[in-house]
Amino acid sequence: MIEVDSLAAIRSGNRILDAVTLTVAEGTVTTLVGPSGGGKSTLLRCLNGLETFAEGWVTIAGHKLVAGEHLPRALERVRRDVGMVFQGFNLFPHLSAIDNVTLAPRIVRGVPPAEARRRGLDLLERVGLSRFADARPATLSGGQQQRVAIARSLAMEPRVMLFDEPTSALDPQMSAEVLDVIVELARGGQTMVVVTHDHGFARRAATQVVELVAGRVHRAGPAAEILAGAGG
Amino acid sequence: MTAARREGKWCWPWWLLAAVGLLAAVPVAGLAAELDEVRARGELVWAADQEGGGPHVYVDPEHPTRLTGFEVELAAMLAAELGVKARFQQGQWDRLPLLLGRAADCVINGFELTPERERDWHCSRPYFAYALQLVARRDSPVDSLESLATVGPAGVWRVGVLTGSAAETEMRRRTDLQVEVVGFDGTVDCLEQVRGRVIDAALMDDCIATFNADRFGELRGIGRPFAGGTYTILTAPDTPLLSTAIDNALGRLITDGRLKALYDRWDLAGRQQMLLLRDAAEVPPARRGSLADLIRGALPLLLRSAGMTILLSVASFPLAILIGLAVAVGRLHGPAWLRPFLAGYVELLRGTPLMLQLYALFFLLPKVGLALPALVAAILGLAMNYSAYESEIYRAGLKAVPAGQFEAALALGMTKWQSLRHVLVPQAVRIVMPPVTSDFIALFKDTSVCSAITVIELTKRYSVLALSTGRIAELAIVTALLYLAMSWPLSLLSRWFERRLERRSERDPG
Repeated sequence: MIEVDSLAAIRSGNRILDAVTLTVAEGTVTTLVGPSGGGKSTLLRCLNGLETFAEGWVTIAGHKLVAGEHLPRALERVRRDVGMVFQGFNLFPHLSAIDNVTLAPRIVRGVPPAEARRRGLDLLERVGLSRFADARPATLSGGQQQRVAIARSLAMEPRVMLFDEPTSALDPQMSAEVLDVIVELARGGQTMVVVTHDHGFARRAATQVVELVAGRVHRAGPAAEILAGAGG
Repeated sequence: MTAARREGKWCWPWWLLAAVGLLAAVPVAGLAAELDEVRARGELVWAADQEGGGPHVYVDPEHPTRLTGFEVELAAMLAAELGVKARFQQGQWDRLPLLLGRAADCVINGFELTPERERDWHCSRPYFAYALQLVARRDSPVDSLESLATVGPAGVWRVGVLTGSAAETEMRRRTDLQVEVVGFDGTVDCLEQVRGRVIDAALMDDCIATFNADRFGELRGIGRPFAGGTYTILTAPDTPLLSTAIDNALGRLITDGRLKALYDRWDLAGRQQMLLLRDAAEVPPARRGSLADLIRGALPLLLRSAGMTILLSVASFPLAILIGLAVAVGRLHGPAWLRPFLAGYVELLRGTPLMLQLYALFFLLPKVGLALPALVAAILGLAMNYSAYESEIYRAGLKAVPAGQFEAALALGMTKWQSLRHVLVPQAVRIVMPPVTSDFIALFKDTSVCSAITVIELTKRYSVLALSTGRIAELAIVTALLYLAMSWPLSLLSRWFERRLERRSERDPG
């Protein structure tokens, strides 16, 4: 589903990522772990073209991204098949929860409003928030907002979901709500790449753990192997 | 394309209003606002020929750098009535009217009121009554007008007149007289020729003859003055407001006795002048109508002009917002080559006066073949001017939307324009609502500048009415009340607009 080959990203002369090569099989969960500044988020953002890279290439959900500037059209195609959930939720504050979820299907995929709403309500139900369909993001807790963000991303029926430290801004209680949703998705066979510091989650859900240190793949393998002996 | 269509749907009421504005343009065009130009300039430029001589306009013999004459004083009084200073413009007497609209606002130089002049120019109410006086040497055989009916010793009589004057018309009309009419450019020249026996007599306005009596001791008036008429102030036919203002100012000078005092000062028989002028001019009675009558008469006019103020505001501001938003989006997200042009647009419109922009739209565009009706030019000018300010506000608003919003929209597969349309702009609109609302109020007041290009809105109507009626304070109060009565619903309208945005976004952004 995802292949990354010899990827290198340079920011202000520093190689943030260097010779990163990895493969994510369909229906598996890969967690990216490692120290802060190791390049986890940058790698994730390279996967859907939010950031560009200088060397190597990426194929994801059947699309290929090469080094250098991406064409807007190509990026739009990639992003329709690749969802992303951000650390800061980034819900659209001027829209209700249900409108956050239905906006992209309607305007990007052209789904009729009634159908988009029906599917959106199903998704909110799935993340346990159908009661809050008409609530504005500002009235929701952080955990609720992140779950709406997940539903918003799922509404595009992505083949791959990218999570960028989805629980870092949340307290343990709310983190648990969000992680439950993600684990549930994993069980459903959703291909996912999750940047996280939470080794507990990695152990619980990850098929593969990739540890990035100083922009390079330090270790990669099954969770039990990589995380053996590690704390958290 | 989808985004563009939705954009159009989103703002249809404003386009409707703009369309109404365009439709309403036709009946309003054509009224001139030249009085404003005079006021803005601070000078009423009046044309006369100082060579024409006294008592009208002549160089003071004691102070050769100074111009004097009863018309010099009259011009100063009229200008003061209009709230400006008078500036003299020299021209050859018979061509003075050609200066109108180019080098002069009005001609004040003993122009007799004639049907021809009334046809070609705007003629004010009479300001002076004259009669024609025949002048000859004391030793001349000419002793009456009738004596010109028979051929003199040297053949036909040679009679000098000022070219283009009523005296010339009169002489040429009198086919019963055996005269050759000799035209002069100045009456003093003409009198010199009589004194030098080059011509036999001269026909001129009585006041000129009287004025020059001391200087030309060898000459005398022959018979009684006859064939009288009045002087009028000429203004260009397409400056009706200025004409009216001058006419009204003159009326006040006549009514309150200042003109009589002027003529008395110049030994021009003020009392008799008033008798003739009031008779000829149908000067409005000195008494004032009741306040109720005044308001009853003025209110419909003021209300209609208030409607114009509203129309200008509600038609131009939405356009300003749309253009401003487009410029802001273009500067932040448009192609690189476009950005300097948009920056230039903003700087040009912010850096030059609104009045100048309106002038350019209304007076300069026709020179390149694009003649806009006044109302269209006014709405467009206001919209463009304010679009520059709105674009800066929107630019700040768009920048204030967190970067994560744009990323989240892009990550969902939206195009840049979809992200702008559905995510960034709606949030920016909310951020900038307070400054934009205050700009709307500013534009509401700036609509008064449109009178510079002939659109008569409330302030303009007030000043016209106040000038013509003299009820400056009373009408000011009525006008102020009208402004208040308008600004309140307009502020309700802008609040409604704000609420509607809120509601729409809750329900459905598309």
